[in-house]
Amino acid sequence: MTTPQAPSPDEGADQAGDDPEEHTPGLARERTSLAWTRTAISFAALGGVVLKANVVTGLIIVALAPVIWQLGRMTRGSAPEVGDRLPAVPVVGATRLFIIAIAIAAVALLCLIVAIFGKSVPGALR
Amino acid sequence: MSWSSRLASLLPGAVARDTGGTEPDPRFTFANERTFLAWSRTALALVVAGLGIVQLLPPFPGVPAGRHLLGVPLIALGAVLAVVAYAEWVRNQHALRRGEPMPKSNMPWILAAAITGMAIVSAIVLLISAVR
Repeated sequence: MTTPQAPSPDEGADQAGDDPEEHTPGLARERTSLAWTRTAISFAALGGVVLKANVVTGLIIVALAPVIWQLGRMTRGSAPEVGDRLPAVPVVGATRLFIIAIAIAAVALLCLIVAIFGKSVPGALR
Repeated sequence: MSWSSRLASLLPGAVARDTGGTEPDPRFTFANERTFLAWSRTALALVVAGLGIVQLLPPFPGVPAGRHLLGVPLIALGAVLAVVAYAEWVRNQHALRRGEPMPKSNMPWILAAAITGMAIVSAIVLLISAVR
């Protein structure tokens, strides 16, 4: 399957099919923005779990959540003009996504250290 | 292509310099980004699960290292998954720009194999601790 390239605004109207997203392509930006929010919440949730084991590490991870949310705001960009069929072409966010990947790898490393050397609180889930 | 040049091609600067092809339909760019974010959340969930097992579960009777045996690989897998997800995003964006077929992803296979392996190890650890 080959991938379609960016259509002109006129072509957008012709491409609309059964998928509601194709009728309102701006929803793709909305969904992506929500995905960033969920990712930020996931960081906060992980930070909450780590807080139980190690306060400093947990706070560092919780502090990452607003940073991730802020990175996601860049996806939203400028509001589309009235009559636009397609959202403005987003800047390819290689740096943002690279930061997320490195942040998760670093957080995993921190968690690994906490898991191996940290004091466990067994029975907390009983 | 050597490993070092492969890794260098994944750096954000190298991705930004990739001007080959044309800008794809924004919906596909957004979808690619959402896929990356979904894998990132999966990676975070693995880290949470691993940490929860090691830190919060009571020790398994008769298997002193049982919690670490289950939790540490999950945390390590989370780290690997995050980095591989970024590499997949770069590959997919490269293909989208050029209108090429989407590259085959190994990530579902890696995740399924890892979860299956962990389930088997969990069952063994639980059986041993139940017997003792």
